Amino acid sequence: MRMKPPKAGHYDAGPNMIPLVDVVMVILIFLMLTGKFGGQEHFLVSKTPITQKGAGGAVPPPGYVPDEPLEIRVDSLAPDRYIARADGVSGNEYEQLTGQLRALRLRLNAANKPTEKIQVVISPTRGARYSHLLDVYQAALAAGFEKIGFSQAR
Amino acid sequence: MKRRQMPDSQTSHPNVTPLIDVVMCLIIFFMLVAKIGVSTGAEAMTIPATVMGLDIKDFGNTVTLNVFPGVTEDEPRVTALVGGTMNELRIRDAQGRNELADTLKFLRFGAAMKPGAATDNPNFAVIIRGEESLQYRYIEPVLMAAAEAQVKNVSFNTRKVSVTVRQ
Repeated sequence: MRMKPPKAGHYDAGPNMIPLVDVVMVILIFLMLTGKFGGQEHFLVSKTPITQKGAGGAVPPPGYVPDEPLEIRVDSLAPDRYIARADGVSGNEYEQLTGQLRALRLRLNAANKPTEKIQVVISPTRGARYSHLLDVYQAALAAGFEKIGFSQAR
Repeated sequence: MKRRQMPDSQTSHPNVTPLIDVVMCLIIFFMLVAKIGVSTGAEAMTIPATVMGLDIKDFGNTVTLNVFPGVTEDEPRVTALVGGTMNELRIRDAQGRNELADTLKFLRFGAAMKPGAATDNPNFAVIIRGEESLQYRYIEPVLMAAAEAQVKNVSFNTRKVSVTVRQ
């Protein structure tokens, strides 16, 4: 008896996926190269950016109690060095300043001055470096103060 | 011993379905996360580094002001993307007008440029970008212009760091 040769293997692989893979890979590479992920930057948000005397402000409503001002004077001593001074606070570095400002906030809270009624005013000199000011700003933020702004230059 | 062989179709065409699954997931991820063609008008510069900070998701109602040391000792050079084009906004132009404050008033209150207008935009926000070595004398007029335009929300754009980098 003559044996039949085995049937050639037939396997329905479906549509050809290679062009799809090519296109999808091109889209993937395009997205990876052109996308901006914005993970390297963030923002310090201020609702009261500057306090100024004179015109420009809105008329306060009747019965308005002004915030308790807390002035932090900032002087840039060198490109890598600054000094920030406030009531019982004197610091030149973020962590140190944060600790001192937090202690000051707790003292003010204990003296019946709630945090939401304290207006921190960073008072720089005209030549103060922007990076130093933002260092003080973020220290005040980390210390738990909510209203932080700048005054006109001393 | 007779070895079991893979069918012909398997040897000539590897199964690409898992590859497509993974690649499709990556594409969906990048499409959701990446910001393509979104320009805030931010110019390249070394901005200060901070540990604290928030992410802004929607830049639709904001204007980014790039602040550089100025034309004169007290006047900064300010650029911003307004109306789809980069403009230099003078603090004091040739006619003595404050272009920056006027632009911010326009974006804040609309064509009337004063409070009480129907086009009032109270949620309008300003983002300030400046070199870390920039002096306050150049930041102050920008903050004053924002105050004059009654912009209530001003943000300072900074670099993220996990610990403070002393510059």
